[in-house]
Amino acid sequence: MPQHAPRTGARASQSRLAQRPARWKHWLPALLFLSPAIVGLVLFRLVPIVWAFVLSFTDWRIFDDIVWVGFDNYIHILSSPVARQVLGNTLWFTAMYVPGVVVLSVSLAVVLNNGLRSSAFFRGAFFLPYITATVAITLAWRWIFSTRFGLLNHLLDMVGLQGQAWLADPAWALPAVAIVSIWKDAGFYMILLIAGLQTIDPGYYEAARIDGARPFRRFYAITLPLLSRSLFFVLILALIRSTQTFEITYALTNGGPNRASTTLAFYIYQNAFVHFEMGYAAALAYLLCFAIGLVTLLNFWLRKRWVHE
Amino acid sequence: MTTKRSALRAFGLKPALCAFGMFAGAMPAAAQDTTLTYMLWSPEQVEIEAPAIAAFESAHPGVTVKVQAMPPADYWPRVSAQAASGDLPDVMAMSSGFVQEWAAAGNLLDLSPYIGDSALDGYFTSAVNIGNIGGAQVAFPQNWVAPVLYYNRTAFDAAGVGYPNATWTWEDFRAAAEALTVDENADGTPEQYGYWVYGRYAHTDPWVFRNGGRYVTADGSALDITQPAVNALAFLASLVDDGFAPRPQELEGVRQQDVFGMGMAAMWVDGSWNIDNTRKLVGDTFEWGIAQVPMGPDATPETAAAYAWADMLAVTTDTEQADLAWAFVQHMTGPTLSAADFTAGKVPAWTATAETEQWLGRGQQPDNMELILEIGEQPLYTGFTRNWSDWRGYAAAGSGGLNGELDEVFNGRKPLSDALAAATAYGNDVLSR
Repeated sequence: MPQHAPRTGARASQSRLAQRPARWKHWLPALLFLSPAIVGLVLFRLVPIVWAFVLSFTDWRIFDDIVWVGFDNYIHILSSPVARQVLGNTLWFTAMYVPGVVVLSVSLAVVLNNGLRSSAFFRGAFFLPYITATVAITLAWRWIFSTRFGLLNHLLDMVGLQGQAWLADPAWALPAVAIVSIWKDAGFYMILLIAGLQTIDPGYYEAARIDGARPFRRFYAITLPLLSRSLFFVLILALIRSTQTFEITYALTNGGPNRASTTLAFYIYQNAFVHFEMGYAAALAYLLCFAIGLVTLLNFWLRKRWVHE
Repeated sequence: MTTKRSALRAFGLKPALCAFGMFAGAMPAAAQDTTLTYMLWSPEQVEIEAPAIAAFESAHPGVTVKVQAMPPADYWPRVSAQAASGDLPDVMAMSSGFVQEWAAAGNLLDLSPYIGDSALDGYFTSAVNIGNIGGAQVAFPQNWVAPVLYYNRTAFDAAGVGYPNATWTWEDFRAAAEALTVDENADGTPEQYGYWVYGRYAHTDPWVFRNGGRYVTADGSALDITQPAVNALAFLASLVDDGFAPRPQELEGVRQQDVFGMGMAAMWVDGSWNIDNTRKLVGDTFEWGIAQVPMGPDATPETAAAYAWADMLAVTTDTEQADLAWAFVQHMTGPTLSAADFTAGKVPAWTATAETEQWLGRGQQPDNMELILEIGEQPLYTGFTRNWSDWRGYAAAGSGGLNGELDEVFNGRKPLSDALAAATAYGNDVLSR
C-alpha cells in the first residue's frame, strides 16, 4: 500500500508536531520550579567562581581600584618564601591528617561494627566532636595544650616526662592542629565506613573462620578489599578537607608561632579578609583548587590498582 | 549614606513624586527627612553613645542617625565591601592602623575645609594629628591611648625596690626586673618574673620609640630598622635570656593581658586601655601603679617620642551631606560624651572630659592617671604605614611579620639579627606590593 505511505508519514509528522507543545508543557513547569535554584547557583556560585579567576590576575585591595597585573600574583606566590612555607605546611598537615584520620576512623568503624548495644552509644560519642562547635572544642584543647597549666603537660609531668610548649613551638604547633582535626573528624568518616562495613556479606567471614583465618588475616583479606570503595570515598574527602583546615587553626594557634601552623586556607583568609588583598587571595585559592584537582585526578587514576569494583 | 531626597534623585523619581505631592497636597514634611548613617566596630559602644546620638537628633530636627555596629572582625570586611560598591556610611569609625591605606584609597574626606581655627581648641592636638595624613585631616579622634609601664607596688615593696620614675634608666629597669624575679621553691621556674614581654607591638614598640628608634623610613614606604631600634629590641631580648622575663612559649595558654594581673610578672608594658581589665582582675589583691616607659640611652630630643594611637571618626567620600556629617563628628568627639562613656584607660580626645575627677578614677587604682595625660602632651609617633597589620603582624595576622619574628627571638630560637633581616625582607615585600 504505497499510496498509504505518505499519509502515514504525514500523520507521524503531525503527531510529532502535536507532541512538541506537550514536551514544552512537560518541561516548562520543571524549569519554572528549578529557576530559583538555577539563578541562585549561577549568581552565587558560578559567577563568583569565574569572577575570582579574573580577580586572580589583578591587584585589588577591596576598597581601592582594580589594577590588571597579569600573572604577577602567581609569580609572586611561587617566588615568595612565606608562600612556600605555607605550601610546605599544607603538605605536612595533609601528610599527618589523611593517614591519621583514615587509620583512626577505620579502627573505630571496625571495632564498633560488632552489633553490640553499647556500640550505638560509642558511635554517638565519637560522632559528637564532629557536630560540636569548632571554637568551643578548640578552646578546650587550648587548655589541654597550655604550657604551664595544661592537662597534657600535667599528665606528662606525673609520669616523669618533660612537657612541651605544644602551641608555641614550631615543631609541635602543626601536629597539635592535626591532632585536634583528626579527633574532630574521625567520627564522621567512621559513620561512612560503618555503612560500608555493613554491606559486606557475613558469609565471607564465616568461611574464613572455618578455614582457620585469624582476625588480622580476615581484616586484611576480606574487610579491607571489600571496604575499598568506601575507603576511596573517605580518602578523597579527607584529602580535600586537609587542604581546607581553617577554624581549628584560627582558634588554636592563629597560624603561629611565626606561621609554623599557617596552612593555605588560613593564608587565603588572612590575605582576603585581614589584608584585603583580594587579587592575591584569589590567585592562592586557584592554586589550591588546581592542587586539589590534581590530587583527586591522581586518586582516580590509582583507584584501578586498589579499589575492588 | 543618602537622604531620602538623594535616593529619590538617584532613581529619577523625584519630579514624579513632587507632581504627585502637588496633586495630593501633601508630603513636604517627609521629603525633608534626612538619614545620616554611622558605622562603628563596637556593639557595646552603641548603647553608650545612644544619649549623645539622641541629643544630636534633637539639635537637628528632621535628622535621623542610623547606627550600625559589629565586632571588629566583621566590621572591616563589611566596610571594605561597602567601599567597593560605593556605599560607605556618612560617618565611620576609623583605626590608626588603617587610616593610611583608607586615605590613600581616597575613601576619606579631607575635613580641613570644614574645620575652622577654633574647632580644634579643646582637643589633644597630638591626638588630632594622628588623623592628619599628608596634610589632610581625614579622621578625627574620639579617644586615644598610650602604652604605659604597669608595676606591682606590693612586689616592689617586698623586694625593697623604689618605684619607677621619670629618671629611670634601662639599667635601673634591669636591676629592678632582676630583684623582682622570685623563685620561691627554687625549681628553676620563677613564680613571679620581673617583667613580661613578647613580640606584640604594644609590648616592644614603646621601648623602640623611647630610644629614638624607627622601623620605617620617614615616608613610610619601606622598612629600615634603625640601630636604636635594634638596641631596644636587644635589651628586651636580654631580659628574657637572663631569666628576668619568661619566654613567651612558657605562658602559652594564659591571656597576655592577664599575666600582670595574676601576679606572674611584676612589670609589664602595654596600652593604657588595659587599665580596665587590670582593675577588674587585680581588685584588692595587690597595689599597682603606672609609669612612663624608661627613656633609652640612644634617644635624643629630636628622636625620642612617645607612642600613642587613637580611635577616630571619619567622614567618607561617599557622603552627600558632608556638613552634617562633620557636625556629627564634632558632636561625637567633643564635650557631649562624659568620662563614664569611656573604658578606663581610653583617654577622651576632648581635654576637659579627660581632666575630670571621674575619668581620673579617684579612689581606684592606679592613683596616677594624670600620667597618661602628660604623655599626650609629648611629641607622639605612631609608626603606622599602609599594610601595617601585615608587616607588623597584628590581630588575625599576629603570628607573622615582625611579631612572629620577635617571638622567635624571645623564645630563644633565632638570633635577633636573623629575625630582623627576615622581618625587613617580608615587610619591604609587603610595602612594595
